[in-house]
Amino acid sequence: METWSYIPQLLISGITFGAIYALVGLGFVTIARASQIINFAQGDFVMLGGMMTFFLLKGAGLSYPLAGIFAVAIVILIGFLLHLLVIYPLRKASLPILLMATLGASLFLSSTSALLFGTLPKSLPPFLGRSSFEMGGVSISPQSLFVLGATFLVLLSLYFLSHRTFLGKAMEASSTDPLGADLSGISRNLMIFLAFGVSAGVGSIAGIFITPVFYVNYYSGTLIGLKGFIAAVLGGWGKHGGAILGGFVLGVVESLSVAFIPSGYKDGVAFVILLLILHFRPKGILGSPFIDSRRW
Amino acid sequence: MVDQVQKEFRKRDLLYSGALWLLSLILPDPQLHYRREYRIRKRDLFYLSVLLLLPLIWKDVHFHHLMVLAGIHGILALGLTLFLGYAGQISLGHAAFFGIGSYTTAILTTRYAIPSFFAFWASGLAASFFAYLIGKPILKLKGYFLALATLGFGEIFLVMVRESPGLTGGVIGIFNIPFFSLAGLVFDTYLKQYYLVWGVLSGLVLFSKNLVRSRIGRAFLAVASSEDGASAVGIDVGRVKLAAFVIGASFAGLAGSLFASVMSIANPETFSLNLSVLIVMMVILGGMGNLYGPIAGAIFLTCLIDGLSRYQAYSLPIYGVILILLLIFFPDGIGTRLRVRVIYLISYWGRKKRREKVEI
Repeated sequence: METWSYIPQLLISGITFGAIYALVGLGFVTIARASQIINFAQGDFVMLGGMMTFFLLKGAGLSYPLAGIFAVAIVILIGFLLHLLVIYPLRKASLPILLMATLGASLFLSSTSALLFGTLPKSLPPFLGRSSFEMGGVSISPQSLFVLGATFLVLLSLYFLSHRTFLGKAMEASSTDPLGADLSGISRNLMIFLAFGVSAGVGSIAGIFITPVFYVNYYSGTLIGLKGFIAAVLGGWGKHGGAILGGFVLGVVESLSVAFIPSGYKDGVAFVILLLILHFRPKGILGSPFIDSRRW
Repeated sequence: MVDQVQKEFRKRDLLYSGALWLLSLILPDPQLHYRREYRIRKRDLFYLSVLLLLPLIWKDVHFHHLMVLAGIHGILALGLTLFLGYAGQISLGHAAFFGIGSYTTAILTTRYAIPSFFAFWASGLAASFFAYLIGKPILKLKGYFLALATLGFGEIFLVMVRESPGLTGGVIGIFNIPFFSLAGLVFDTYLKQYYLVWGVLSGLVLFSKNLVRSRIGRAFLAVASSEDGASAVGIDVGRVKLAAFVIGASFAGLAGSLFASVMSIANPETFSLNLSVLIVMMVILGGMGNLYGPIAGAIFLTCLIDGLSRYQAYSLPIYGVILILLLIFFPDGIGTRLRVRVIYLISYWGRKKRREKVEI
């Protein structure tokens, strides 16, 4: 069988993609843990992270780490602005209106980036050159290891933020028990504001790490964002570990599907998985702390 | 003195109540669900005559084309408002049903040379068949998850269309779809198409008006306000939601068929997520739970997009900003908000005059 020999290679690329989906999913989870809002502009944070780094590296001539740090800072600022200009005025609006507003913001961000950075797809150079090493007949590029490391670090820091700090607990309280949070003097709006900043930061980090792996276009944010969201739902909505697990499962399944069905159907696989998981186990693999609340 | 004030009162009262009456002639009242059966009102005759005369008065081909598009969007928005505005469920996959209708007509008329009149009804049936299949499993979801699931369906539809070039022509699509024709009359100019599209839309409005006042229409409203409450009074919530979804999808299928036979092209780019978002925006801007609103929203947004298209690359960012601003300032629909404002202004004007008189 010819296809079976590809499997290890596909597995590796699936894990790389899975790490990316996991990073994007973590951004969704951060906001969901603070406010139960779903920000459909999350994918555009990812795209903007990559685009900004490209622009600062090639246009402004900064060094790689400096460009990355500035890009993350700018995207965090955009996240704060998104909250102040769109989410905060709509804090009492109903669900379809919030949904439409974040979709409108996504449209604005992606089309503005097309205007500013051009419509051509961009790709960053890998962090450590283009060489890849062989291991057991499978070639692994160092960039994949960087993506995995970044995912792990971001997961670790988010976990510490939400489980070990007062700020993280306050954020979670404002989502799970709004009245209780109000009574104990937590400013819910401030918490959502900060959550948007953190999630924009996570998204832009994801953007910086994935742009060397594949080409980022001004409209690619939507699809990456949706797949990150699917990863978060698949693993267990509202759990950091769930987003990571869901990301890897989604990445591997999607990547392996190429061996068995025509590659054009690859983008559909994620949505088929989504429909299946929503029908048979809406809680996700690990279960979800939010799913049985009335809102869902 | 008192007599004089009283007399002037009546005059003013008459004036501003007359203004209110004129307003009620033009603007629909969003809170009239409770009327049990539908009778044709003066307002409907007014709309109908405007509809009939407008293209004859304003003989601009571009305007006719725009209104054809607006009518197709209006059918889409009307279908979605039954699901979103009345039954209170959200769908981001409505463009897929539009696409299914479009491709059904395209395939039937180009490959099998079936008359477009029959293809029109077949499109509605095909869309509602797929809506039944997809709605059965996913309609138990709520809120964001329902939005995401319907969005997923829309994306799967796009992938299927792109990847089966034998049936749908792949990314290129299907060309040369014959114009809609009925009993020897071919709808080949924008003016004829205008009357075709808006005629279909008027029929569907009449159907919806009767539907929302029927037993199932009131069940839609009950499900929207509380699913538990609805099931407690003996409404089969799942069935009602499925009915709203299927009816909405069949409207979208009919709209898709009209679109295919008017534009004579079916192409996957047309049925992307952007169209679904646009339809939901039309319903939101028109106001939830009202039938004329979404059509007004469809006309407004179609004209807005057409007006913005002259700014080329800047059109999309401006469009995004306008959408967000409209959502922030008119969250319950432009019509509803404006109506309240205008009534308030008129009554304020009356009260102000009265206050001035009393102070003297």
